[in-house]
Amino acid sequence: MDRAYEILKFFVLNAVFIITALIFTTYLVLTIFSAVTLRKYLRKNSYVDYNSIVASPLAPSLSVIAPAFNESETIIDNIRTLLSLYYNNYEVVVINDGSTDDSLEKIIEAYELEKVNYYFDYRLPCKRIRGVYKSKNRSFKKLTVIDKSNGGKADSLNAGLNVCRNELVVSIDADSIMESDALLKLVKPFMEAKEKPVIGAGGVIRIANSCEIADGHIQKINLPKKFLPRAQVMEYTRAFLMGRMAWSELDGLLLISGALGMFDREIVIKAGGYSTNTVGEDMELVVRIRRYMTDNGLDYDVVYIPDPLCWTEVPSSIKVLARQRSRWTRGTMETLYTHRGLFFNGKYGKLGILGYPYWLAFEYLAPIVEFLGICWFVYLVITSSLNWPFFLLLFGFVYFFAVSLSIWSVLFEEITFHKYEKRRDVLRLVGTAFLEPLFYHPMVMLMTIKGNIDKILARNKWGKMERKGFGKN
Amino acid sequence: MSLRNTYQGLLLGLLLLTLGVINGHAQMVNDSIQSDTIMVDTPQAEEEPANAISTYAQGLMDRFDTSPLLVTILYIVIFYSIVTMTALLIIILLNRRRLEREEKVKGFLLEKYQNLLMDYLFEEEKKEDAYRELEWVAHSRLNRQILIDQMIDLSVNLKGEIKEVIQGLYLRLGLKRDSLEKAYSRKWHQNVKGFRELAYMDIRDANEQIIKSLNSSNSILRMEAQIAMVRLSDGNPYEFLDLLEKPLSLWEQVTLHEMQIQHNLEVPDFKQWFSSENITVVMFALEMVAWYKQRGVGKEILELFEHENEMVRNKSYKVCGEIGLKMALPAMVGKYPDEIFKNKLEILIAFTKVPEEKYLKFLKNVLDTEEDVQLQIEATKAMENTGEPGISMLIKLMKSKSEYKNYQIIIRHVLDGRIY
Repeated sequence: MDRAYEILKFFVLNAVFIITALIFTTYLVLTIFSAVTLRKYLRKNSYVDYNSIVASPLAPSLSVIAPAFNESETIIDNIRTLLSLYYNNYEVVVINDGSTDDSLEKIIEAYELEKVNYYFDYRLPCKRIRGVYKSKNRSFKKLTVIDKSNGGKADSLNAGLNVCRNELVVSIDADSIMESDALLKLVKPFMEAKEKPVIGAGGVIRIANSCEIADGHIQKINLPKKFLPRAQVMEYTRAFLMGRMAWSELDGLLLISGALGMFDREIVIKAGGYSTNTVGEDMELVVRIRRYMTDNGLDYDVVYIPDPLCWTEVPSSIKVLARQRSRWTRGTMETLYTHRGLFFNGKYGKLGILGYPYWLAFEYLAPIVEFLGICWFVYLVITSSLNWPFFLLLFGFVYFFAVSLSIWSVLFEEITFHKYEKRRDVLRLVGTAFLEPLFYHPMVMLMTIKGNIDKILARNKWGKMERKGFGKN
Repeated sequence: MSLRNTYQGLLLGLLLLTLGVINGHAQMVNDSIQSDTIMVDTPQAEEEPANAISTYAQGLMDRFDTSPLLVTILYIVIFYSIVTMTALLIIILLNRRRLEREEKVKGFLLEKYQNLLMDYLFEEEKKEDAYRELEWVAHSRLNRQILIDQMIDLSVNLKGEIKEVIQGLYLRLGLKRDSLEKAYSRKWHQNVKGFRELAYMDIRDANEQIIKSLNSSNSILRMEAQIAMVRLSDGNPYEFLDLLEKPLSLWEQVTLHEMQIQHNLEVPDFKQWFSSENITVVMFALEMVAWYKQRGVGKEILELFEHENEMVRNKSYKVCGEIGLKMALPAMVGKYPDEIFKNKLEILIAFTKVPEEKYLKFLKNVLDTEEDVQLQIEATKAMENTGEPGISMLIKLMKSKSEYKNYQIIIRHVLDGRIY
């Protein structure tokens, strides 16, 4: 009995350490998995000739769906980029989600658009579509513009799904910059599928702050000058090259970033399209289409490509970052709650047994546990009962382990895609890895807590991104 | 020292450190066991190590007021994290230096070899000097690889006699041995390189090995073997399809098709694979029949309408439209009611490509009964494509005020020339 009490006391007293150790062990396992998978992917990919499908009439037809709201500053260039992607057989569907600026007028003028008698069905519910526009100029025949009442991003994507005709759809943020070969790389897993059809594919999103951009294309890649976006580069590198890569291999991928993803249109429609009841519609969709397939006894694959496919501008001010992180947290909470039936549910395989519990414990609950730990720390300091030597030791353990994980991800980036050519950029990234746990991480943790509070208080705003516009960084 | 060796050295260093720590612990445990044994005879001698451990543990306990085991674990993790960080940083910097150096060297060698090859191919008086220099540089494996890559790049853009001269040089320099070694290597990525080189240089010595790889579980190797077989076979470049047991993915199909076009290879009669047991081979054959407009397939196509695989049926309907197979239209009308959505759509698309007035009634019926937008649009398009009779029928429908269906909106969409 005494022994049991001692064991229990040990666990209670060391709970924070145990949770941290568990998280770190998981990260370590994920790092190993992603290292193996990345190596395999890169080796295989070095023999792939994407040129063979660039102009092939046999390649599948794609619809690129890009919702836009008040993006008058960048919309013309962004559409131009979308129209000049390396692929033969695709259409671009831009959805003007009731913009209050002059986005639509600018598009109409730049691309010589006219309202057409477009017949479509509201297979997915969405706000009223006021009109569909096509160009008089055949050079822009790939372009379709939908004008609709404002309903948010998910609603716009549903409108795009209703109007587009092709079997595969690519959802992107209109303010992101796609790599020219992004479609080729995204479509490959769909074309390679044999026994199991691929229903979704996503790739790496990179940060474009401080990069030199001209004509809607990245001309020169630079590491962001400001600390805040630079810390996000670190965060994205870790998440995309380590986390998602491993989860894809483990068949537990829950998220394909809303900035860029390719899906089987029919499956998305049958599963009910994008949910307008959540601010995390990208994650919710992936979970729902996966559930749909399993519930209907259908085999499938969701694939992740470690290639950098898309560039986006990240928040460079604390205020905007806080809004973004609050939204991400609320989105995670909503998806986890909606699909709570997955929790340790063997029917859904690794998704239910590994993927869902991981997201719940480490992506959602970890910041809360961390916050409680800090509260406890403050209490101990105030009451002068803190064991300072042990605290410093524990802090050293967490800090150095976290930094070493970040430096692993820098190494992954270096030996894989090697996007930052300047040696100084890499050293600055390593420097950021040392500073990030001290300054950036606590801030993001507090923003996540705010997201929880916002959700509880039903403050469900999307939050405005306030982009500076590419090339104006 | 190459980066690989540095990396291995560092890993070895880490491993030794691990062993050192484990050994250290083991030594401590051993010491304490030995001390236990000795304790009976020489109690004083044993007391020292045991005291050392307990003093260490007591020291940790006094300092941290928590489990000494936990503190030791934390110390070890911190130590390893710092060592890992340092090691990774060194690897990152060395890797950068290696890449920069490799890029420089490769650039220099590529330019040098390209000039030598050009001299060999086009400058008769410099030919033998160029050969001697090429022979000299071909002593190193890395140089030989760069040389082979360069020759392949050149041969892609050249045809006829010059291409044969390159192949002759490849053999004269003994580079074939390298390619064969790679083709028979145990490593799949070496096989891929080997197959590619042999295919470009038109060498058939490893065909047996290539055929074996046609059914490899590695998709890249399998595809490279397929490509190599297309290039290396005489007469029928696709005869490997008879040997294929694994599915031929769409990616592989597109790659083969592009190669066929690029290299202007002989086009076989693809209907010979309509009876293949490999469904994907049948689909590829159908796709090629449509692409090359191989029209003498009427009877075989009609048989495929009864195929149990819906995708095969889908492709056969598509072929009928692409090659304008009028004789298949009545059979498609018969199949329409029982088909899945995708196949219904393909049948209607075939009717838009092979417009026939006598099927207007069928198409009007589709327009009336189908609820799906795409089916309605395709049926309307097919009606429009029949010309005057179809268009007048559509105009009549537009004017009629049916409560059942809003024909106007469908017909306007189809007749709107701006919607491509």
